[in-house]
Amino acid sequence: MAGSSSDEDNPVAINVTAMVDVIFCLCLFYMCSFKFKQLEGRFQSWLPLDKGSNSGAAADAVIQEIRVAMYWNEATLATVRKFLVRTVENDTELQQLIHDQHADNLKLGHDDVPVIIDAEAKVPWHEVINVINMAKRENIAKIEFALGMPPGTK
Amino acid sequence: MSRRKAIQAKEDVSANLIAMIDIMFLLLLFFMLGADMTQRELAELVLPNADQVEQEKKEKAAEDEFRSTVNVCHVPDSSSMRCVINAKGGVCREANHWMYEIRSEEFSMETIKDKINELAASAMEAEINATAGKRMSKRKLSIRADKFAPYGYVQQAITYAGMAGIYMIEVAAAKPPVEKKP
Repeated sequence: MAGSSSDEDNPVAINVTAMVDVIFCLCLFYMCSFKFKQLEGRFQSWLPLDKGSNSGAAADAVIQEIRVAMYWNEATLATVRKFLVRTVENDTELQQLIHDQHADNLKLGHDDVPVIIDAEAKVPWHEVINVINMAKRENIAKIEFALGMPPGTK
Repeated sequence: MSRRKAIQAKEDVSANLIAMIDIMFLLLLFFMLGADMTQRELAELVLPNADQVEQEKKEKAAEDEFRSTVNVCHVPDSSSMRCVINAKGGVCREANHWMYEIRSEEFSMETIKDKINELAASAMEAEINATAGKRMSKRKLSIRADKFAPYGYVQQAITYAGMAGIYMIEVAAAKPPVEKKP
């Protein structure tokens, strides 16, 4: 009869039940241990070879440095950001300040003025990355990390 | 006349498992290939988001034999120490709750200096750098810090790297998912 298998076609019957059980267990193990990695990249921040930790060369009086100071407020558990002496309320304002200062420096022909990040030790890392991200949006290639504590730290 | 027996057709109701086994094998193969049991250089931590970050191609990263990754992460919970603030996703500022990790080896702020010196010394350039006036290290230091990690830990690692002659520093960030426009 068509479609039927006789004993002559399958002389040896293999019981695959146990194999399916093992495969299920393995699948379960790998499904539970599987994790999707987050896409990540890197910002390059090569240290200057011609400067030391003690060399605090004053910026040219004409060129205004782009310094962002960040302080950790223990009471509110928030970061206070200052652009030079001005307290910045939000990201948009800080982005605009960085943009304006960079534009002024470009007009003077100085395209290598770095963004200096001056943060207290307790400031969360994502705040620092946020400032680096803002600098990259303005195509500022140089990022510098100030050593020691930012001015005005108690 | 003899009665005819009613013909009863035998119905084979057993399920055919062949297709299911094929699918199971494919799934198993997928997950086995995706699993990575090796010692991780990239620790499990939540990186801060940055849309301007550039992703490096895997082939280029694999060729970089002088790259070392320093992870700054919160100390995992144990029977003796459990951080409630970190468990709730808050910003933990306890001094001894954060650590450095390099290839699954843990370091404190005191012991990381020696490790960074060791990494720098293992890959020194042959010539004296004209700009720096001394021999620098070929080692590239990639710093991956948890988004809530204190900046002081990263700053300290960069300081030690500079002192050891490592000038090629990278900081890692996560590329945020692209928001779908309505």
